[in-house]
Amino acid sequence: MKDIMRIKCLLSSDVETLLNQQIKKEALSSSIYLSMASWCNRNGYDFSSDYFFKQAEEERHHQLKFYKYVLDMGGNAISPEVTDIKLEYNSFREVFEEALDQEISVTQSIKNIAARCHKEQDYVTLEFLNWFFKEQREEEYKARRALELFEVIGEEGTGRWQIDKHVGQIKYDSEA
Amino acid sequence: MQKTAVFSQVNFVEVFSTKQGAVFQSDSEYCWYIDFAGKLARFDYRNLLKLRQAINNIDIEQILLNSGKTADVEIIFICACDHCYVLSLLEVIAMKELLSGTFVMLELNHIIQDRLFRIVA
Repeated sequence: MKDIMRIKCLLSSDVETLLNQQIKKEALSSSIYLSMASWCNRNGYDFSSDYFFKQAEEERHHQLKFYKYVLDMGGNAISPEVTDIKLEYNSFREVFEEALDQEISVTQSIKNIAARCHKEQDYVTLEFLNWFFKEQREEEYKARRALELFEVIGEEGTGRWQIDKHVGQIKYDSEA
Repeated sequence: MQKTAVFSQVNFVEVFSTKQGAVFQSDSEYCWYIDFAGKLARFDYRNLLKLRQAINNIDIEQILLNSGKTADVEIIFICACDHCYVLSLLEVIAMKELLSGTFVMLELNHIIQDRLFRIVA
């Protein structure tokens, strides 16, 4: 008897479900960043706003990467519904705290997919995920660095203005 | 999985059967035939997955607890598929059993194919 399931699709249904959940997560991330960009812009933090616009685009790019991978492997990629996006933040700092939280949760969820792939010996997907792990290093670094600015510059006086100016300059260029 | 039946020049291999129905695979057509609720229906890969999802999405417990006067009949309609099922709750449960058994057997077949042919050969 032919193994039609495997002939049609490389992914197991569990991994496919996890990847679709990740697609949703990336879409949610993108929308959250867009909302943060809006908040920053409204409150006069233009550099941070630009920074979040860029982040939103990156998350969208990640989403499409997962999306195309699922399709290329013969799976069913599901276009996610994204709702309940927070519109208001209590403070400038809170925006960055939530951005870091968001990145951490994305890293953890990709780790969870990788764990499943290990269990199933799905090395193909595992290799695909490696790109994301490297990307998450950068994302977490940038989010953490932005929060660090609040510590080193301080929010007093023109502090927030300074922080905003420096957020746009955060770069991660580690060769490691 | 060993039994084979010839049905109008199509080779079937039985994948899984229960008292209420059976699922056969046709290697030449890359599809499955489901003998259930008095008819034999052909499902390709996509439609079989959609059927499984449609059946799994039915909340059996909720229907059991529902004290309304509506009949406990579920219409299972699959997009881009020629077949539709109108099933009573008991049939839904039987269909669920049939499909979950089928997918276990397909998974088992996958493991066997891997171990016997793909890895060793």
